[in-house]
Amino acid sequence: MDTFAELAEIQPLASKIITNSIRKDRISHAYLVQGARGTGKRAIATLLAKKLFCEHPNGVEPCNTCNMCKRIDSHNHPDVHWIEPDGKTIKKEQMAHLQKEFSYSGMETNKKVYIVTAADTLTPNAANRILKFLEEPSRQTIAILLTENSQSILPTIRSRCQVIDLKPLNPERFKQQLIEKGMQATNAALIATLTNDIDEALQLNDDNWFAQARKTMVQLIATLAENVNDAYLSIHSQWEGLFKERKQQELGLDLLLLGFRDLLYFHMEKTASMVLFQPDGEKTSQLAIRFSQEKLIAILQLILKAKQNLKQNVHPTLVMEQLVLQIQG
Amino acid sequence: MKFTIQQSTLMSSVQDVMKAISSRTATPILTGMKIEAKENGIVLTGSDSDISIESYIPAESDDNVNVENIEPGSIVLHARYFPEIIRKLPENNVEFEADENFRVTIRSGKAEFNLNGQNAEEYPQLPIVHTDNSFEMPIALLKQMIKQTSFAVSAMETRPILTGVNISLKDNILNFTATDSHRLASKEIPVEADGLAFSNVVIPGKSINELNKTLDDSEDTVEIYVTNNQILFKTRHLNFLSRLLDGNYPETSRLIPNQVKTVIYAKTKDLISTIDRASLLAREERNNVVKLSTSGQQTLEISSNSPEIGNVTEELTVTAIEGEELKISFSSKYVLDALKAIDVEDVKIDFTGAMRPFIIRPTNEEKILQLILPVRTY
Repeated sequence: MDTFAELAEIQPLASKIITNSIRKDRISHAYLVQGARGTGKRAIATLLAKKLFCEHPNGVEPCNTCNMCKRIDSHNHPDVHWIEPDGKTIKKEQMAHLQKEFSYSGMETNKKVYIVTAADTLTPNAANRILKFLEEPSRQTIAILLTENSQSILPTIRSRCQVIDLKPLNPERFKQQLIEKGMQATNAALIATLTNDIDEALQLNDDNWFAQARKTMVQLIATLAENVNDAYLSIHSQWEGLFKERKQQELGLDLLLLGFRDLLYFHMEKTASMVLFQPDGEKTSQLAIRFSQEKLIAILQLILKAKQNLKQNVHPTLVMEQLVLQIQG
Repeated sequence: MKFTIQQSTLMSSVQDVMKAISSRTATPILTGMKIEAKENGIVLTGSDSDISIESYIPAESDDNVNVENIEPGSIVLHARYFPEIIRKLPENNVEFEADENFRVTIRSGKAEFNLNGQNAEEYPQLPIVHTDNSFEMPIALLKQMIKQTSFAVSAMETRPILTGVNISLKDNILNFTATDSHRLASKEIPVEADGLAFSNVVIPGKSINELNKTLDDSEDTVEIYVTNNQILFKTRHLNFLSRLLDGNYPETSRLIPNQVKTVIYAKTKDLISTIDRASLLAREERNNVVKLSTSGQQTLEISSNSPEIGNVTEELTVTAIEGEELKISFSSKYVLDALKAIDVEDVKIDFTGAMRPFIIRPTNEEKILQLILPVRTY
């Protein structure tokens, strides 16, 4: 996405808010852009930075051809600072560096832009440091915070930013794109809900591991429905061997979540939204009868809690054991 | 682009420029060195975004030909490899060539290096300076001013503006001031600036120390240009640029007391060694407190006391004491720093009471001033 016009196709509201504030010359000193992966957070940050520095802007649009625009694209512009998580979190030292940067004048111009990607990963110390310049913005300094997980942003930070909510991408549209690329309709529906990134989607589709993971999770749901007592064992016999890495474990829980959501949809007769199970499959109705709607909702909450535990570095095997035991109980 | 150059000439320039390049930088392009060939010479540029150094190699100087076969152009090369390659080249003749795909070929004797460069357009643009807002001063004098003030900048990041040296120019008087809010060092000199004036130009302490190291002791002069966000020090072959600190430097002139109650005239060397001895027992965590009291017209008593370690008292005969009797405590570190920075034989210290700041100056001039806050002791 190189222009606000292109952005408007997928994020009409966000694009409008920003272009209006540019037109009226009322750009806020801090933005918090929140939205799921692939919704265009970086594109917005880059566009805004380009607009501020561009030498030949065309209305609200940056030219994308001048030296400034090119260097912002390559992250080489000395007055545009990108703060990315160092490892899992954004550390205090990175903020200290930024703080120092702010006591200095700009390198080429008097304008400065800092873009904090994954702002939810700010450590508490780092977050408190950033508060200081959100509170006392120096002239012509703009902060753009990006996050996928808007709930983890400190309320003190949120209250000082103009919040821009990005719409989730339309999975239906993405699904069509995937089908055009030659993916099976059933796979496309599932993968479109798991990711917004087309390359990642195609990769998942070709991945043997993913097919197996999917099968294992369907089995696990079946076991939970039919042989509750075996479920605990199947964690050790099947789950542990297959889901080794953090990313895989998260994906596994997502699959489980989608599976139970499907069953809930089945109850509610919203079969069009089902992604993992076939609405007309015999198995689906067999599984669905085993769980009441209340039970399904409780299970979904347990899975969300398990995802959160996993994020907070609880041992993955323990997370799964606890989840299964709680579903049983 | 293309040029042929002597290895030793290139190497000394590269070494100058390397001082500005840091391997840890957030902007990828700054890990490189920019090499620009112009009709009349070669310009090397290095930067860590705080400071930038440009070194200029003229094609011809003093009837010597330094650079030959110049085809203009520019390129950025990674600063980790380029200097080492130049240092270790087998012969003194270096051929340098870059094509439009940013491939660089360096030839010397039978050795040939092919390096991948980066587009020079990605490199930060240094400000273009205009000659009408510049002034000139001798390098030696600038270095002296830096030495006498820069030690007093604040090391604490709580007030970032105090981590720099404030420069102002008014009525052809150039002033450097540094303070960390416990002490203040200030120096003034007359310059020929044709009525040019500026104030609130604050150079980061780190940059100004780097400048002091970069400038070599010579009889030459340095031209100083102030732009909106950078300051440029220009010598014959070297341009040193520093970013400035953003913010308003506090008004310091009001801090300097104008009435005097006690004046001490002393020999700097004696005073330094006495206070230095007393500070042996002063403790860092208690601000290195040393006490001074006057007795009579010519004697000072300097003492320090740390209950856990012991105490020391020394009498010092000074040139003269005028005014009221005085007992005062101060940080020996600050006073020693100040006395060393003044660097004259005789000093004059003006006190305005035990709880008021005091001023150390050379006996015979007013241009340099070191102001120190006393320490309250009970």
